[in-house]
Amino acid sequence: MELANTLSQDGESRRGVLAHLERLETQVSRCRKKLEEPQSAQAVESALGTRIHELRRLRDKLRAEVKQHQARVKASTTNVEPDQTLEITEQEFLKRKRENVKAILQAYRFTGISGKLTSRGVCVCIGTAFEGNLLDSYFVDLVMQKPPQIHHHSIPVFIPLEEISAKYLQTNIQHFLFTLCEYLNAYSGRKYQADRLQSDFAAFLAGPLQRNSLCNLLSFTYKAEPEGQSFPFCARLLYKDLTTTLPTDVTVTYQGTDALSTTREEQRAAHENLFFTKPLHQVFTSFASKGDKLDMSLVS
Amino acid sequence: MDETVSEFFRRTILKIPMTEMMTILKTWNFLSENQLQTVNFRQRKESLVQDLVLLCEENRASLKDAALLDIIYTQFHRHQKVWDVFQMSKGPGEDIDLFDMEQFKSSFKKILKRALKNVTVSFRDAEENAVWIRIAWGTQYRKPNQYKPAYVVYYSQTPYAFTSSSQLKSNLPLLGQALTIASKHHQIVKMDLRSRYLDSLKAIVFKQYNQTFETHNSTTPLQERSLGLDINMDSRIIHENKIEKERVQRVTQEIFGDYPQPRLEFAQYKLETKFKSDLNGGILAEREEPLRCLVKFSSPHLLEALKSLAPAGIADAPLSPLLTCIPNKGMNYFKIRDK
Repeated sequence: MELANTLSQDGESRRGVLAHLERLETQVSRCRKKLEEPQSAQAVESALGTRIHELRRLRDKLRAEVKQHQARVKASTTNVEPDQTLEITEQEFLKRKRENVKAILQAYRFTGISGKLTSRGVCVCIGTAFEGNLLDSYFVDLVMQKPPQIHHHSIPVFIPLEEISAKYLQTNIQHFLFTLCEYLNAYSGRKYQADRLQSDFAAFLAGPLQRNSLCNLLSFTYKAEPEGQSFPFCARLLYKDLTTTLPTDVTVTYQGTDALSTTREEQRAAHENLFFTKPLHQVFTSFASKGDKLDMSLVS
Repeated sequence: MDETVSEFFRRTILKIPMTEMMTILKTWNFLSENQLQTVNFRQRKESLVQDLVLLCEENRASLKDAALLDIIYTQFHRHQKVWDVFQMSKGPGEDIDLFDMEQFKSSFKKILKRALKNVTVSFRDAEENAVWIRIAWGTQYRKPNQYKPAYVVYYSQTPYAFTSSSQLKSNLPLLGQALTIASKHHQIVKMDLRSRYLDSLKAIVFKQYNQTFETHNSTTPLQERSLGLDINMDSRIIHENKIEKERVQRVTQEIFGDYPQPRLEFAQYKLETKFKSDLNGGILAEREEPLRCLVKFSSPHLLEALKSLAPAGIADAPLSPLLTCIPNKGMNYFKIRDK
């Protein structure tokens, strides 16, 4: 048709035969196409048909598989009940194991040195004891950096912590802890003896017990028999070694003005020796027991 | 009994509040139980004081006993004084300190008496290892003034001594000397630390303020610590800046810890620094000489106040290290200069 319109400008003669022939030509091609279309449509139809069949087959196959899987799962869940009880006991077992480990960690403090890891290092607990009696615990919170440092602590200020850490902290942490442990245990032990003397044997003391922070100098006036039969002695105990619980220097002197009799002198020397060798409260326990022995002899 | 001593007794007993009268007299232990029972404690204070002074006279009380009563009163009212801290040091490689309290007391007293004839020195043991010393200063020609004494608290075998700010500053070097020699140290230096709260000062210099330690035996798990504000209080309230709030709480907890802060009333910063400004130009920016100014922070409880600044939203966290270093460095007086 377009051809007809474009040619219409040229002349009306075109409208004639040529135009008619062209029209006929286009008609023929159209008819041919129409004849072909159902064929291709049919082909397309059949192709689509086979595709539909294929997809249906695939769908059915997948449905069957799903059903199978579900059946299998159902079957397995019925068998799970005995498995579940196994899990519970496993849980309990782990719980008990965990509590056991926790208790062991807590009990470690009885060994004297124990610790717990912290976000910045370790917090060490030094427990002190003397003669089987548990005494105070002290803590050192360490920051484990390239040079280890003390973050904070509960060590008393009169313990030479700066000295000990200057010597050992950077080079040998183990040695640092053991040295600190020595000092603290010795201090605790001396303090324990002084406390026992003040509280349990106050009857033997003629005046207050003089002591200092480190309990390394003790001075007191005492009587070996609290009944007042003997004259008081003055004792002065020095602990020059801060890692020991027994004194390094002992002086026992006589208070009175008259000269000492030989028995009294012997007693004085014996007492000096006692203070050197036995812990303070044990010395007084032996004084007390000697007194009991005397009573027994009087009775019999 | 001397009239001045009698008057001293009267004024000392008059200071004691009625609620504490019995406790303090019993601590003093100078008047017996029987004697105290004869006194009517319900009468007017003036008459009560008169009766007590008469009893003291009966017991032949001396200045020494009055001084002891004064020490006890001060021990009960230690917050009424402002305390300074002195730090002593020994030479290197010193022998073990065998501190003898009696030796210390007699040495201390001797040194003061040798320098000043007119001085009253009294001692009272406290706790296991501390001594409170009361010193009434006189001059060569005047008797000691019993109404303006200085106090020193010393813990044996430690390098620190706490003194109540003496009004008579001229006697301070002598006091320092006596302390140093009697305690067998070589040097004494005044620390830049001052407060009314003696126990807090002790906690700071003895490093006793942070006493929480992680152990396996602790029953309170660390995660359950309440972080100040309870974020999950009401489900209808949504906290928009929850993350920031938690960060601030965490930072504050890292710096200040969980423990109660030692109590200080102020921090003072003496600045001698050049002016720093974000804006370019301005008169002050061109100034070559440093500016001198004094900044003072005051509070009934300074460190707790500083701790609550960031969580309250008033300051950024972390706070300036100039504020947070106070207990660690044992200072609340600072001099800041440009480096």
